Amino acid sequence: MNKTKRFCAIALAAMMAVTAFAGCGPAATPDTPTGGDTSAATGGDTSVTESTDPLGGEGAGGTINLKVWGPDAVQDVLKSQCATFSENMKSYGDVQIEVVPQGEADSATQVLTDASAAADVFGFACDNLDKLVTAGALLEVAGADKDFVTSSNSEASVGAATKDDKIWAYPETGDNSYCLVYDKRVVSAEQAKTLEGTLEACKAANKKFVMDAGNGYYSCLFMFTGGLKIEGYEEDGETQKFSEYDEDKVVKTMLAFSKLFVEYKDNFLNGEVTKVVDGFKSGTVGAGFDGSWNFSSAKDALGENAGFTVLPTINVDGTDTPIVNMFGYKLLGVNSSTKYPNTAIELAKFLSGEDCQRERAEKLNWGPSNKVVAESDLVKNDEALNAILSQSANSVPQVGVAATFWTPVGTFGSKVVDADNPLDEAAAKELIKTTIANVRDE
Amino acid sequence: MIKSYKLRRTIADVVIYVLLGVLGLIWVSPLVWLVLHSFRGEGGVTVPYVFPKQPTLENYKLLFTRTDVFDYPRWFLNTFVVAVFSCIISSLSVLMVSYAFSRLRFKSRKMFINIGMILGMFPGFMTMIALYYLLKAMNLTQTLPALVICYSAGSGLGFAISKGFFDTIPRALDEAATIDGATRNQIFWKIILPMSKPIIVYTVLTAFIGPWCDFILAKIIMGDKRDNYTVAIGLQKMVDKEYKQTYFKQFLSGSVLVAIPITILFLKMQNYYVEGVTAGGVKG
Amino acid sequence: MTFIEYKSLSPAQRVIYKVKEFFSLLPGRVKAFFAAIGKFFRNLGNSFVEGLKGYGSRFASGDASTKISYLVMGFGNFTRGQVGKGLAFLAAEVLYILYMLNFGLVYLNKFDTLGTTQAHQEINPATGRPMMVAGDNSMLILLYGTMSILITIVFIAVYVANTKAAFEAEQNQKAGRKNLTLKEEMTDFLDGKYHITMLSLPVLLISIFTILPLAFMILIAFTNYDRSHVPPGNLFTWVGLQTFRDVFKVSEGASKGYTFLALTRWTIVWAIFATFTNYIFGMIIALMINKKSIKFKVFWRTLFVVTIAVPQFVSLLLMQQILQDDGVLNVILGYMGIPAISFFNSTALTARITVIVINMWVGIPYTILSTSGILMNIPEDLYESARIDGATPVVQFFQITLPYMLFVTTPSLIQSFVGNINNFNVIYLLTGGGPNKDANLYQAGQTDLLVTWLFKLTMDSNDYNTAAAVGILVFIVCATLSLITFNLSKSSRNEEEFS
Repeated sequence: MNKTKRFCAIALAAMMAVTAFAGCGPAATPDTPTGGDTSAATGGDTSVTESTDPLGGEGAGGTINLKVWGPDAVQDVLKSQCATFSENMKSYGDVQIEVVPQGEADSATQVLTDASAAADVFGFACDNLDKLVTAGALLEVAGADKDFVTSSNSEASVGAATKDDKIWAYPETGDNSYCLVYDKRVVSAEQAKTLEGTLEACKAANKKFVMDAGNGYYSCLFMFTGGLKIEGYEEDGETQKFSEYDEDKVVKTMLAFSKLFVEYKDNFLNGEVTKVVDGFKSGTVGAGFDGSWNFSSAKDALGENAGFTVLPTINVDGTDTPIVNMFGYKLLGVNSSTKYPNTAIELAKFLSGEDCQRERAEKLNWGPSNKVVAESDLVKNDEALNAILSQSANSVPQVGVAATFWTPVGTFGSKVVDADNPLDEAAAKELIKTTIANVRDE
Repeated sequence: MIKSYKLRRTIADVVIYVLLGVLGLIWVSPLVWLVLHSFRGEGGVTVPYVFPKQPTLENYKLLFTRTDVFDYPRWFLNTFVVAVFSCIISSLSVLMVSYAFSRLRFKSRKMFINIGMILGMFPGFMTMIALYYLLKAMNLTQTLPALVICYSAGSGLGFAISKGFFDTIPRALDEAATIDGATRNQIFWKIILPMSKPIIVYTVLTAFIGPWCDFILAKIIMGDKRDNYTVAIGLQKMVDKEYKQTYFKQFLSGSVLVAIPITILFLKMQNYYVEGVTAGGVKG
Repeated sequence: MTFIEYKSLSPAQRVIYKVKEFFSLLPGRVKAFFAAIGKFFRNLGNSFVEGLKGYGSRFASGDASTKISYLVMGFGNFTRGQVGKGLAFLAAEVLYILYMLNFGLVYLNKFDTLGTTQAHQEINPATGRPMMVAGDNSMLILLYGTMSILITIVFIAVYVANTKAAFEAEQNQKAGRKNLTLKEEMTDFLDGKYHITMLSLPVLLISIFTILPLAFMILIAFTNYDRSHVPPGNLFTWVGLQTFRDVFKVSEGASKGYTFLALTRWTIVWAIFATFTNYIFGMIIALMINKKSIKFKVFWRTLFVVTIAVPQFVSLLLMQQILQDDGVLNVILGYMGIPAISFFNSTALTARITVIVINMWVGIPYTILSTSGILMNIPEDLYESARIDGATPVVQFFQITLPYMLFVTTPSLIQSFVGNINNFNVIYLLTGGGPNKDANLYQAGQTDLLVTWLFKLTMDSNDYNTAAAVGILVFIVCATLSLITFNLSKSSRNEEEFS
């Protein structure tokens, strides 16, 4: 009797799972399952009880094959973590995990091109969350899984995985942003506190200061610092919503930046962030705004002279205002077309869990989103990790950023730092207006 | 009078030599920079001086030893295989199409020529996603044959130059052969093709070079299947944000290695190429 | 007016003649161009009607086995000794029916709405975890639907051919003529019908891998497939001409309409400069190399031609590195005491001049290769007489060489013009469209061409429908420009003169 009941439960679960797979198929036949392993229904492994099996009975149908995408730099760590997961799950099923290198920048594009050929669990940068959710490519995080995510990760990182009040992914890091990286021989820790001091120090040593001001990811700080921030979408779900702002303050901040970059134009290098480390190597750069993914190269280039700190302040109208930037998170997503949703969810939970985050912080210098790891000595004692995690306090999370945001804001940045045509008040006002209109596609 | 004429000519020649020298220098110096810096041992992406300070073979060695992320030798081989096959198929189909349009007379020939000319004018990016799903329906995505198909399927549309070339071959030849009882098939293989070495070389060369240059379509088709990447995807990836800092010097050495075989091939075949493109270009 | 007559005019007269000719002919040519397009479609329609003509009468007058062929394809041929041909027709019918039943009909049925069931997620009660409930995928419906329509058109053509073949076979038999055996028919394909042999494979490949994707792309322009309607999670549907209206709508501030106009203007300027700088300077260098008294011709030519052999994307990325603000060129300028130039980041004008100059570096070697031969063929007596008149080499170039070359190479010039309108690599790899200092441009920079904009619209902002509409407009611009100039050029009228 009991056996029959259990059989029914498993069969039902399998049926449900099977219907779920249909999402990846040609989708022309919504009512019929197009793939999956129906033998799960008849597998009936008696050692499995539905209350404890985290794989939801998926292990009963034979080998579970999963594919995981992670960037090249983490392959070794990721492989060993996946092996640990397979080992842990041994009693529930044979989980075979293939780890395939795929950068976070590319993975969303590829999932959107063809979800059925993509990985079951993949890492991506949180600015792609909207695209992926809109396209229905991610499996929602619900129920107990949701509690797990919200309780263990920082509020901001969970916010980065949220859209329309639902959570869609598992935070993996809390460091996808940039801060001030400097050569301690050129810029003193005291000077690094203000942008004026940093630029002055670079000028004194005849070195450059690097910022990618034509790139919306960096140039948004010109508007954020003045209080013009973004707040997700309007009700249509695609038009960028901007915060209420004090035009006077935004203009003054822009003019303060503009004035500095005109004043120090011979020491300002407007270019890709790779130029920061390049310049450290060749001795031409004193400081720059550089991303966390380049921190280890910066350490290689400067050794113990590498300095990391939060973005400096800028003097607006007599007050030192901290620069506010955009702060991103790396997330792990579960592909909605996966054949093994339960196992994939378990794997994503495991990889985004405390132990894995600690290991990555230790071996790869990835800043954690996990609250416990973020508070640990390991992180507190690391200057770079500390700098980037502190920056998150003064930042706008990279959530709900419209696809139309980047190009106009890049244009905005190019104009703010344009030393040949320095901004005046009228031009700054006009620029704010057109940029907002352009982002909102109006 | 004669003397001054001679003098003027000598001056003119000297001016031309100087101009050619300067221009030649401008043309090759980026390539010289490429080769020089592919041996650079120090620095990352850019260095603030012209000549490398620590010459080394390391960048070339790494191409063949550090293959966990960028499996250059394998990708080189992939590209070579794809290039050879697509070059055979495209050359054949270009020659067949242009022969038919140039030498054969049939109903709606003009219409076909016009359609062919017009089809080549569409910008092709939107079609990539359609191509991907067509190949997927044939179960070919992420394979090398898919690339061969993509590079050679549309090649028939590039008939203009070789049609122009065929147009210059006197019709009397065909007529004489027909009187001798040759079929059109025999005329094509035994008479026209042997006379068309320049245009064949031209077609083969252009078809062969294509796969070494495409990095957009190939990447969409290959997805995450790194074993089947081509050199172009690999080189393009080396200068991505994620890898640029570490791999830029290997990008330089990898580019040099790609350029060497094509350069040799090209220089050897140059004269045929010129002949083909000259004859074909006039009539177009 | 022949070339020689034209040459006898004075330079001023020539300019007047050219300008007058251009404008007097322009309206006629434009009209002729659209008339030609109309004619093309009429012809297409006519040949369709032609094909169907006799469809009914053949059925009426045919005998039983011909009539059966209308239902069972190939039957008429089969019963009259043409076994192979009959089987081929039958196979086509069976394959078509199998295709339609197993694959095509599913998509064709939904083609009018592009799908109605939207995919969504539900909580699986057994595990408490969400699961996917699949829906229609509009993109696949559009793609495979289009494919099925094209296959059906081809099948109809085969079907009509089948009725014709059956009727002919009957007529032949009645008249006592022997029907061709398979072998005889095959032999005919190597001679009389050789064009079919030569063209069928290329046409098949082009139809599948060029025409079908193109048809798909064109249809997308009439849907609302944009960033908020991305499958498989969403459906998109037909919206008629709305996308085109958006592209043409010029409003205050940033808009697609403003961007389209601005980019079209720059694209045309770019195409003109890119084409003619390469053409003229390439020819001048070719003339210098080929001057009789110049030695080491192979060496000089090789110097320029080596750049062709390096894959274009490599040499462009290289150039992009070299021209950076802190790149090697600025380092060299620094040695010479010249302040650094920001080639890509300062003004739009600087960046535009830079890309045109770099394009010369890329393109001139091709011009040298393709014009050397023709330049050598210019009749020497033309120069002879000019020299007697005391014309300097510069005058000779503009009065003899250039007009002659324009005269002879117009077709390839048009090709390179169209190629430059669609020149993706140079802009994408060098500037990526930047600098971005015009805040009114929608998702574009100031050196973006229409094609690179199209690429950004697809890849970055996922505005697939706008991209498709822009693609169609680019095509119309290219086709119109090139067909008009092609017709205006003398070489199309006096095609045989210089060959």
